Amino acid sequence: MNEMSELERLRAEIPRPAAADLRAEEGRLMAAIGAADASAPGTSRARPRPRARRRTLGFGLGAGLAAGALVAGAVVVTGDPSPHGGSGTTTPHLMPVASVQLLNRAADSVRGQKELHPKPGQFLVYESQSTNLSEDNDAGRHWAYLTREKRKVWLPLDGDSTRGFIEAERLAPKAIPGEAIPPHALKEVGRRGPEKLADTDGTGGRTGYQAVSRLPTDPAKMYEHLYTGLGHDARADWDAWGRVGELLGEVYLPAAQRAALFKAASAIHGVTTTGKAADAAGRKGVAASMVDPIGAEREEYVFDPKTYDFLGTRSVVINAGKAKMPVGTVTGATAQLRVSLADQAPPV
Amino acid sequence: MSDTSLAEADDASCIERSRREPEAFAEVFRRHAPDIKRYAVRRLGGDAAEDVVAETFMAAFRQRDRYDLARPNARPWLYGIATNLMRRHVRTEVQQWRLLERTGTDPVTAPFTDRSDERISAEATRRNLAGALAALPKGHRDALLLVVWGGLSYPEVAQALGVRVGTVRSRVNRARKKLRAELGGINPMAIVSEEPVHE
Repeated sequence: MNEMSELERLRAEIPRPAAADLRAEEGRLMAAIGAADASAPGTSRARPRPRARRRTLGFGLGAGLAAGALVAGAVVVTGDPSPHGGSGTTTPHLMPVASVQLLNRAADSVRGQKELHPKPGQFLVYESQSTNLSEDNDAGRHWAYLTREKRKVWLPLDGDSTRGFIEAERLAPKAIPGEAIPPHALKEVGRRGPEKLADTDGTGGRTGYQAVSRLPTDPAKMYEHLYTGLGHDARADWDAWGRVGELLGEVYLPAAQRAALFKAASAIHGVTTTGKAADAAGRKGVAASMVDPIGAEREEYVFDPKTYDFLGTRSVVINAGKAKMPVGTVTGATAQLRVSLADQAPPV
Repeated sequence: MSDTSLAEADDASCIERSRREPEAFAEVFRRHAPDIKRYAVRRLGGDAAEDVVAETFMAAFRQRDRYDLARPNARPWLYGIATNLMRRHVRTEVQQWRLLERTGTDPVTAPFTDRSDERISAEATRRNLAGALAALPKGHRDALLLVVWGGLSYPEVAQALGVRVGTVRSRVNRARKKLRAELGGINPMAIVSEEPVHE
């Protein structure tokens, strides 16, 4: 018996409902559809993109027609939950005029920064710090707190993490407002490594130095790249913003690509500037940020206010009801502390 | 092959027709709601699942103008919408897994216990699996459960989640490793197959 077949058995006693069992739900859906259609001017084809409508709606309503119709409305407002916006994927993504000055400055300042020129066989060494929201349950209670870690990662130029190394130090956990730190979290504090970085994080070689060196250096092309396979809605903008973040973590972009990335990011719809921000190491800065499609948190990319060097990222709660945490709670942060080159892997 | 593709071609046609005749959307519901309902109940329990299913089809209806008609089968699209909607309930989901891990009692399956039969896993296995599932990053849990419970292929999961197939593969592999490690504690002699169950 392997883990896949065990998983197939898990909760397998839940039956597939027969069509007849869903008749009431179908009736409610069709009633809601009828109502939605009747309220729409003209045919559905002539209808404007629903994303243009803005309403604030609460969650957590009971089941039934009202909840179904209302929450579906909220879904449309807060962003397209469909990962591919249908025909949107075939329409080209033309970069609009860049609008976020902070990111333009970050792009311009890239020229003045010292650049690394990795040679074959070398490792890129990333030193970073992170804060992550952790939630556990034990002895009948739920714990929510922040874990903090410093890590140093060695990655080969092809980005193959199975040939990478890691040295990490778990720092003292931090409480989030109104919550306590569980005693077991304190036991995890300490160092480990260096050891092999056997885990892959899903990005594979995609963010290795060799791969990112082939990314476009033209901002408009970089913009298109960020939107590859995405639609034309708030969800797509959010995903594109996430891709920018993916290229700012344990990734080293050559100067030309980095400048193009910041220029392209400045044109992503929905990006604004946050005057006061800080990274996971507590370094203060200014941030380019975007609110998630649910409207619960703001994702910030933090820059040094003088040099416009990228410092790190931070997620902050902006809506207590949706995030189920107080406004201002930091639910995650990173700090990119140093990038360097090494000829050899650390001894393990 | 021809039977399947005929049946699959119908999803896109139904959706196209529903753009002019909204009532044609009922057919999309009839075809997919039973599977999506079971999937959502399995992950979240009955109450949240009922909301998720209603929201999924309403959101799908509202987005039907943007459905890519080149995709004959709407299954990945609908599972993608449902997955996004289920993320709102991630805390509920994780809390229920933790409860099962801790107490051995599953709040999700409790209403169905009279149907217990040989498909139900041994208690220790269930508790270990629940702990492992609770600890997975949500993207990994989504990918794994779409494959094992949703019966989606890797390319379909990629389409549903809007990520690359390679990403799906690596998420599922990582998730499997964690599950295997948890189950390893029960039966170290278990034979582990490296082959994905659905490909």
